[in-house]
Parts: sequence; C-alpha cells; structure tokens
Amino acid sequence: MDCRKIMLPSIIIYGLINSVILALIAMGFSLTFGISGVANFAYGGFYLFSGFLVWMLLNYLKFPLILAIMVTIGVTGLLGFVTYWVILLRVRGIALSEVIATFALGVGILELFRWMGFVTYEFTLPYLKKGMILIAGVPVDYQRLFIIGIGLGLVLFLYFFTHYTRIGLSFRGIAQNERTAISLGIKSDRTAALSLAFGSAMAAVAAIVILPLGIISINTGYEVLLIAVAVGIVGGLESVPGILVASLILGYAQVITGTYFKPEWMMVVYLAAIVLVLGIRPSGLFGKFKELEERV
Amino acid sequence: MGKKGLLALGFLVLAVIIGFPYAAVAQLKPGDPIVIGVPTALGSIEGRDGWMAIQMAVEEINAKGGVQVGATKHLLRAYSIDTREHEPGIPVQDALTATEKLILEKKPHAIALGNFRSEVLLASMDLMSKYKLPYICSIAMTPLFQKKIADEYDKYKYCFRNCLNSPYLAMYMTEVMKFIGKQFGFKKAYIIVQDTLWAQATGKGLDKWLKENGWEVASFDAYALGSSDFSPSLIKVRAQKAQGIVTFFDMPQSGILLKQARAMKIPALLAGFISPVAPENAWDVFEKEVEGMVNMQFEIGPVPVKAVPKSVAFNENFGKRWGKEARVKLSGHGPGPSYDSIYIFANAIERAKTVEPDAVVKALEQTDMQGVVGRIRFGKDHQVVYGVDPKEAALGCCFQWKKPGTRVVVFPEVVAEGKIELPPYMK
Repeated sequence: MDCRKIMLPSIIIYGLINSVILALIAMGFSLTFGISGVANFAYGGFYLFSGFLVWMLLNYLKFPLILAIMVTIGVTGLLGFVTYWVILLRVRGIALSEVIATFALGVGILELFRWMGFVTYEFTLPYLKKGMILIAGVPVDYQRLFIIGIGLGLVLFLYFFTHYTRIGLSFRGIAQNERTAISLGIKSDRTAALSLAFGSAMAAVAAIVILPLGIISINTGYEVLLIAVAVGIVGGLESVPGILVASLILGYAQVITGTYFKPEWMMVVYLAAIVLVLGIRPSGLFGKFKELEERV
Repeated sequence: MGKKGLLALGFLVLAVIIGFPYAAVAQLKPGDPIVIGVPTALGSIEGRDGWMAIQMAVEEINAKGGVQVGATKHLLRAYSIDTREHEPGIPVQDALTATEKLILEKKPHAIALGNFRSEVLLASMDLMSKYKLPYICSIAMTPLFQKKIADEYDKYKYCFRNCLNSPYLAMYMTEVMKFIGKQFGFKKAYIIVQDTLWAQATGKGLDKWLKENGWEVASFDAYALGSSDFSPSLIKVRAQKAQGIVTFFDMPQSGILLKQARAMKIPALLAGFISPVAPENAWDVFEKEVEGMVNMQFEIGPVPVKAVPKSVAFNENFGKRWGKEARVKLSGHGPGPSYDSIYIFANAIERAKTVEPDAVVKALEQTDMQGVVGRIRFGKDHQVVYGVDPKEAALGCCFQWKKPGTRVVVFPEVVAEGKIELPPYMK
C-alpha cells in the first residue's frame, strides 16, 4: 500500500475522532449557555478538576475505575450546581460579571492544582480498555472508539432528555423564552443551576474519556476553554447542531493542518476560525444569538 | 560647604547607594554564609530534582564545616525561587523578574542551576553581568549561550554551564544513530521535536548529519509546548515507513508520544530524548509501553554508571536523603550537574580565597575535578567539555528500556552494559 492510500483513510478516521473530541469538549459549555445564557468560563477548571479527581480516587483511595467515574461525574455536576447558587445568582444577567466570576473560579481551580504540585508527567488516566483494531488498514485503539461511541451516545441522550423528560423540557422552555417559561411555572434559577450542573457533568464525561489519550496537565484546562469557545463561536454558542458541524470543520481542519502543513500550526486553526467567524457571521454558523443585530 | 562641596557629597552618597549592593556581597565577615541563589522552574521535574540535588550538596559541604575562604570557614546557604518558565505562556520577562527578585532580596554570591528555558537563559545573562554574579547553568542547552560569551567575553564572563548542550547532545545522538544504522540497516528516520530553541537546534543538527550520512529524513515536525496529540506525525511515520523516530522533548506531555505510538502500532524504533521516559519509574507510569525506547541520559548520575563511582554514590545518597520515591523519579537532565555545581563553586571559592566575582570567575575557568558526571573542565566558551570517556570529560549516556523494566546503558561503549536491541513490536 503506498503512502497516499494510507494517508487518506488515516485523515478521515483521525479527523472524525478529533471532531468528536472537540464536540465532547464543547457540548457542556454550549448546553449551559444555550439554557441559562451563562458563558461558564470555569469550564476548563471543571474539566481538569474531574481528571484529577478520578486520578486521586484511583490512586489515593484505590476506588474501582467505574466507581471513580460515577463519583467524579456526580461531584463535578454538584460543583456546577453549587457554583450557580453561590457565585452566579448575584450576577446573573450581567454578562461581563458572569464572565469575570466564572473565569476567576476556573483560574482559581487550575492554579490550586498547580500549587498542590500536580504538574509532572505522572498524572495519567487508564484506558477504559487496552488494544486496537485496524480500520481500512489504519490502527485505531479502543479508547478512541469509546470516544466516538460516547460522543454519539451523549448527543442521543441529550436529544431524548430535552424532548421527553420534565427537566429537559424545562431546559428548552427557558432556552426558548425565559419570561414565558416563568409564567408557565418553570423556575428560572433552578433550571439555570441544573443547566450548569449538567454542563459541568458533561465536562467530566469528556475529561474521563479524552484524558487517557494524554496526561492531565494544568494547561489542558486553559486549552479546553479555548476549544469550547472556538467551537461555540464557529457553530453558534447555543446550537447543538452548530456545535457538531463546527467540530467536524475544526477537527478535520486541524488534522489536515497537522498532516500536510506543520503540527505547531494546529492550535492556530482555533484562533483563525474565531477571528474569521466573528468577522463574517458573529452568531456562528447556526446561532441566532445576534442574528437581529447582524440583519440591522 | 559650598555648592561644589554639596554636589560632590551628593555624588558620593549616590555612588555608595548604587555601589553598595555589589560591594557588600563581595565581602565576607566571619560567620557570614556564602549565599547561592537558585532561580529555576521548580515545577518542572528537572528544576525540582536539581534543587533537591543542590540542597543535598549544600548539606554535605556544611556537615564538613563549610567552605574555606582564606583563614575562616563559611557555611553555604541556598535559596530558590520558582520562575515557572517551563509553563506554556509564561513570558521571558516574568522569569527574569523572579530571578532579579531573588538577587535583590537574598543578595547571593553565586547563582546555580538557573534557567530551564534557553530563551530565558540568554536574556538572564545580562542580569548576571549587571550584578556580576558567577553563574553555573545546569539545565538550558542552547549553543547561543557559548556564542554570546565568546563574542563579548568581558560582559558575559560570569556565565558558565556544566550540563550537556545541544551540540553535545547531537554528537551523542549521531553516534547512536550510526550504530542503529549499521546494526539494523535502517536508513529512514522521522524527527519530532518540541518547538523550543534547544530542541529545534538539536533536531536540526541531527537532521543535517543524517542527510549527510546516507539517511533519508521523512519529515521534521515541531510541536508547540503543551501539545499532547502526536497522531498527525505518527500517521505519517506509518505511511512513509520510517524505521526510526528521533525525538527531543522535555515537556511533561511528551511521554504520551510513546503511549500513542504503541496504541497505533507504529513499527519504528524510538530514539532520542523524552524527558518523562528517563526516570526509573517510567516503566510503571507508562504501563510498560516504554519498552524498546532508546533514551538519552543527558548527564549520568540519575542513571548510575559503575565506571564513575561518584555517579553511583550520588544515586544512592539521593535515595537516602529524599527517599526511594524521589530517587526513582530522578530526571534525565540536570540533577548531576546541579549537585556538581555547588562543589565547583566551593572548590573555586577556596582556590580564589574570596567570593569577589572576578576572582571566582578566574578560579572557575581553571576547574579540573571529578564529579558525578565525570571529569569537569570548562572550555574557553565556559561550557563543560563532554565526551565518551569519564576520565577525560563529563559524560552523558544512552540507555534502552528493556524487560523487566530496567534501563540498560548502551552507549558510550566504554561504560555500556548491554547492546541496542529491536523491541518485540519490530521483530
């Protein structure tokens, strides 16, 4: 098999994996923003907190992996819930204050771990299952297949959850029109707090499946926030279909850049996409957030 | 007093205020300690271990009464400050500010270990010149350091380096690649480095050598600090059927390159330097997936070499002082030279009979002693001379990870305890 024949399927497969990784990272951020209007800039901090929490439960308390995962998702969700009531409730609706408050919290979490000495190469999470298979001659490890599976599963879960459950329907009600939803008896603050909890729990799910591919390092927290914001801006911050399409665009753009140009330019893809989309269509490809202003 | 007298007095006061910090540190009264400043990236494994090695050396010297300066003995005291320069996004200026803070607050007589990132090292040379501080760098590796000293000796004469530099690393790696090419008939390599001065310089040096010596270099990729997905390069390694992957990384994330290569079943021998793969505990941390990797040990010590007894003693004593857990985490770059640097300073100060910077610099230039890394002598460019015989020069070595989790020294031949073998996934 010549070089090109291997390269093309590799790019298709690894581009898809990369896209699902981006979608997994961005979905929690997007969910919270779409429902409560809060841009949770502590998202990277929650993501890293989840990674370190699993690591500590596994290594210090010797929890079984599955129990460590369940506890971590629950605790991170609770952290998001508490964050709303303790920090965001008082600044809700003041966008700049929301961003400052959540960003400060995120930086605080990340730098706390740095201060605690969580900075070396030893912090790695185990693969859910070791091994690999060949797909069109391209080796793909099971962990990456899990990522694709969990990414798709999460999208389906979100769809059914928001269409067929009481809490999910209240999410949609608040997202569509908060005042009308309140007049129908939906509690705005409770729903917003739950959206933050769900978004945070989704950050934990993303961390648990993605972090085994690398190590848990502090700068990952900052990188995750950049990814979530970039995907959100390109796709439309409150739009799940937009997030999926943006993830595919950025995921493939990154892999193609890394393969055919230079790997050190991969990070530039996010920044270039943010600048480009903000310049042409500030609401993103599927967003309606600023659509009226754009038309005017 | 007339106007002229007042003006003269004013100038005198000004001169005393400006000159005092420089003059004061150059004089020692009985009972005064000799202060060593250690500004470095304490969060990096190299910085952390280097600082521990320095404290160990200070304790050993103090236990023997200290450093003889003329008629009196003076204890050593070391102070560190975290420059955080290994972290992505930390500007050079921040690291320099931390260094200057340490200089102004602790008023050191000398600086040891020093900068982690070459970019910071080059900028900090002006600080050392400004404060006339003898400085032995034990981590950052750029050859531009020596060029600056050679070009402006009077300004930068206070700066020395006792760790390996990029050209020496490239020298060792060319020898290893020569052996790999001859032994296994390999002719195609793929170079992956991190996007920093030292790694780029080493990679380019090796790239040039490989091309001049009948190798084909499939590609040369650089990754930004903090990167943890190396699949774009690994896809190309597989597609282009490279037989060897040459790597130069010191960021914590780089260890995962091996894990990803194994997960993707890349049939190529990894050789070079991946910092997290060097410590003794890497076999367990990376779940045995380091097997087969040929990794540089920039300076011996963390890997004890029987032919250099001080390297064995250092390794054992480090474990006694800091515990087994710390010993098995000893990094592949920095600890040996950091430990040696304190003995080099002590030796030079004793010979100079003063801590006056220019006298210490002269004594440092005449250093010729045995240390953890082998024989220590500075070249005219203030770089310790590295070679393949520890009786003649300082020594770096290359080891291969083999079952059941041991680091077998495979180069240089004079100290080798085994030969490079193809890992199971290449047979």
